[in-house]
Amino acid sequence: MAAIEFSEETKRQVERIGSVDLVVGIAGTVAPEELRVRAEAIVAELGSGLSSLRIVFAWAGENGVSPAGDVEQDSAEKTRVSLLPYTSLGSVSGEFWSGVSAQQRAVLALAASLNARGCIVLGSDLAALQTHVLQLFAYAVLDRQCVVAMPIYPAGRYEGLINTGILSPLSRVLFGKRIHYPIAFDFAASGAMCAHFLRQSAASNGTGPTLLWPVTVAATQFPQQTVGQVHVDVHHRVAAEGLELSAVLGQIVGSLFQEIEQSAPHWQRIRGSQSTPAWGNAPPERPDGQPVDPQPMLDSFLLGSRNLDEVWRLILPPNVLLELRRLARVAPEQFRMPDELWAGIVYDFALAYRLRTISRVHLLGALTPLYLGWVASYIQEVSQLNGAALEQRQEQLARAWEEKKPYLLSRWRWPDRFNP
Amino acid sequence: MWEQVEQSLHSSMVRVMNQVATLLPGILAFIVAFLLFLLIGWLLALVVRQLLKLFRFDERMSLGANAIAEWSPRATPSMLVSRVVFWCFVTAGVMVGVSAFEAGTSEHIVSAWILGYVPRIVGAAVLLLAGNVLARFVSRSVLITGVNLNLSYARLLSMGVRWMILVLTGAMVLDHLALGGEIVELGFGILFGGIVLALSLAVGLGSRDLVSRSLEREAARPVDVPQPERIHHF
Repeated sequence: MAAIEFSEETKRQVERIGSVDLVVGIAGTVAPEELRVRAEAIVAELGSGLSSLRIVFAWAGENGVSPAGDVEQDSAEKTRVSLLPYTSLGSVSGEFWSGVSAQQRAVLALAASLNARGCIVLGSDLAALQTHVLQLFAYAVLDRQCVVAMPIYPAGRYEGLINTGILSPLSRVLFGKRIHYPIAFDFAASGAMCAHFLRQSAASNGTGPTLLWPVTVAATQFPQQTVGQVHVDVHHRVAAEGLELSAVLGQIVGSLFQEIEQSAPHWQRIRGSQSTPAWGNAPPERPDGQPVDPQPMLDSFLLGSRNLDEVWRLILPPNVLLELRRLARVAPEQFRMPDELWAGIVYDFALAYRLRTISRVHLLGALTPLYLGWVASYIQEVSQLNGAALEQRQEQLARAWEEKKPYLLSRWRWPDRFNP
Repeated sequence: MWEQVEQSLHSSMVRVMNQVATLLPGILAFIVAFLLFLLIGWLLALVVRQLLKLFRFDERMSLGANAIAEWSPRATPSMLVSRVVFWCFVTAGVMVGVSAFEAGTSEHIVSAWILGYVPRIVGAAVLLLAGNVLARFVSRSVLITGVNLNLSYARLLSMGVRWMILVLTGAMVLDHLALGGEIVELGFGILFGGIVLALSLAVGLGSRDLVSRSLEREAARPVDVPQPERIHHF
């Protein structure tokens, strides 16, 4: 994580605006005109609860271009809404999530500079720039004093599988908070959280975690405060073209493993998990159509089990390898990867990441076929489930991860102990 | 006559014994010097490791790019530094031992040859080590990437890359040690050239029909409209 520094022009704008109540920051570049029109429409629609607030809509200006030229700057003295393009001087990585996280950090730091009571971070596709979404997020951080409010997206059964299979259960196990999306394009943070990010950024030497995990920060830095969730009927379209699954998986899961390493003293004390308050109404379930054919994913798993044995042997204990060999022999329609096995595999990878058993690049690359094996098993299981049953299945998966946590704890503390 | 033969054998035996006796102090000096440097090196490596531990050297290094850990994950930077210190002393021990051997005898040819050859041996050892680490890292990278790209011949590819690097390393090591002379260069050139030629012929002749059929099929195929992906991992 590089230290965040804004351009002189941005600093002048911040100084001119002074302090505000709420910052709505777009984590990325947008068309300023479109943002202005939509911001005005939203302000016009806002209910009486938010009408008295001073709000700044901020977005990332082009690097190297002074924002002054394209500011549609309403005077803060005349109106309660300002538009503020910001330019951070740090380089933004072109990788899938690193760039998004860097922009999200910049928005939070900007909100802290403006002494905002709360900050809503939105994805640059502006899909979440909707009145009711902003109202819900603002309600969570301003009225209900949540330190962080994460979104609950209306995901279909075949969507967000990295999140369902790894990120959400792992985050829940580690930090004891049942959050659906521990990493998201949209979220809201309290003023205290923003100030923490600004301090962290100032103290940073450019070597911190690459991705922003708001729930981790909230759980470790503000353990007594509430983390909330809001139901948002938003569907972000991630341009998957050109993105390689193993690269994205490596980036996101690697970053979470790094968080695990850094917050080990904290998560080792946590037992079980607690539900978090959620606001808003869950949108109606969307039909997913025909079941998906799991065969390509199964083939990837089988190819991995035939070729990567020498690598998996360095990471996984013998009983897991035995179980994987057994799975490789079953008929495709009977292929089911038990939840406990999958949780144990991810824990073993997290441990190997910490111990540097093999190169971390290789380690994360070797996880992809196993993940695809889990996906093949999972989509076969959920293809016939309806909304409530699907949720129950995900809860069952998360519980299995929780029940397996003592294994992670034991291996984390005594990695050299005999593990058959 | 037998007396003369016996006398001659006796005198040559005496000469050999004298020669061995003159070498003994040199050998003893070599062993003592070598053991002394081995002990000093071991102690110093221990001290260096403790000092680096005290100054949290590994943690400071891990804040950077940490290239060492990527190439050789189990070797921590402090371990590497202490090992370098140890092996420097071992090498110095050999050199000093050879000098001591030289001082203890009237023979200068052996020591001159050894002193001249030690840098080559050290260089060859470094080459061998680097080649092995590189072969292991690259072959594993190829294997994992190949599997993730769903290449059924990923293992074959990985083994090919591994052996190519190892053969290249072997040739470089032999060349560095000046063993085999031009045979190594020639053999290596013939081997590599042969492999490339064989592959070219295999692709050029063996797959000629396959390539032409594939091109014809490609030209005749209507433009595909990509189907939307129904599974979203992220």
